[in-house]
Amino acid sequence: MAVGRYTSDLELGDVMGPLEYTLSPFVVREYAHSNELHHPFFQGLKDELMMPPTLIHLDKLRLYRHACPMGAGPDARIHYEYDCTMHEAVRVGERVVVSGEVVERFEKRGRMTVVIEMELRAASDGRLFVSYRDTVLLSYKPKD
Amino acid sequence: MKNLAQQISIGVEFRTPPRPMTRERMRWYVDAQPTIAADDGRIHTQPPTIHDDDDYAASQGLPGIIADGMISTNWIQGLLCDVFGSVIASQSRLRTKYIAPIYEDQIVIAVVRVSSVTATQTGGFLYELDVWCEDDTGKKLTVGNSFVDTSLQSPGVKNSHASA
Repeated sequence: MAVGRYTSDLELGDVMGPLEYTLSPFVVREYAHSNELHHPFFQGLKDELMMPPTLIHLDKLRLYRHACPMGAGPDARIHYEYDCTMHEAVRVGERVVVSGEVVERFEKRGRMTVVIEMELRAASDGRLFVSYRDTVLLSYKPKD
Repeated sequence: MKNLAQQISIGVEFRTPPRPMTRERMRWYVDAQPTIAADDGRIHTQPPTIHDDDDYAASQGLPGIIADGMISTNWIQGLLCDVFGSVIASQSRLRTKYIAPIYEDQIVIAVVRVSSVTATQTGGFLYELDVWCEDDTGKKLTVGNSFVDTSLQSPGVKNSHASA
């Protein structure tokens, strides 16, 4: 297990979370606003708001903060791939649980790559809202 | 008047207007991260990143600040929402790969092209789409694909930005 320090330390099989929180209107609208998503289901009144699928990216950072509180490590991470499947809409006020696991860690052309898989589920009954696969490079510069 | 299934047929392409990836757009995504993490209604900031600090970007071997890949993913997602509506937030898949850095003031156009349309048993359609972001020379910066399933929800064309 390599959790507890830097995200660059994460190893195959490391588990992050589960973490539980309530999806707030502020989070949905603020994320949508920062990405110029001006659709009413992202920036409208509370009752019509739905989680933008891409918000799962900030759940990854939520898991990182919890599992690796010392930050990225020696180099800035570079996001390489995003792969998100929405199984059901997530409405504001929903209590959710997010968890993740490192499923791959390998070196390619001098750069370390880490792949994590995540799930976002309903806290009440465990039904699956979002599944997500994320690939990052641990540095922009290849190591010698 | 064509119905949605006829409008969204194989080969049809939707494009956003060109948008410059300004320094401010890059910073909006940087600031959103601690602001949303705090979830207290106030703006929060974070230490320098490769997306908002020239010196830090240079220290990481970059010629300048680059956009977080999630911005181009979000611009593609926004175009999908323009075309398909809120079904994107309930029954969809989006995959993107960042194949070239996006630098300050580079022009970015999000594109969605319909690659297949399949009628489902419940009266909806399963759409498969090629998606990408390109610059004003046609160079691809972000590539991927998407699946949209309208079986559970009839989409309307929410076309606020897209042009086919």
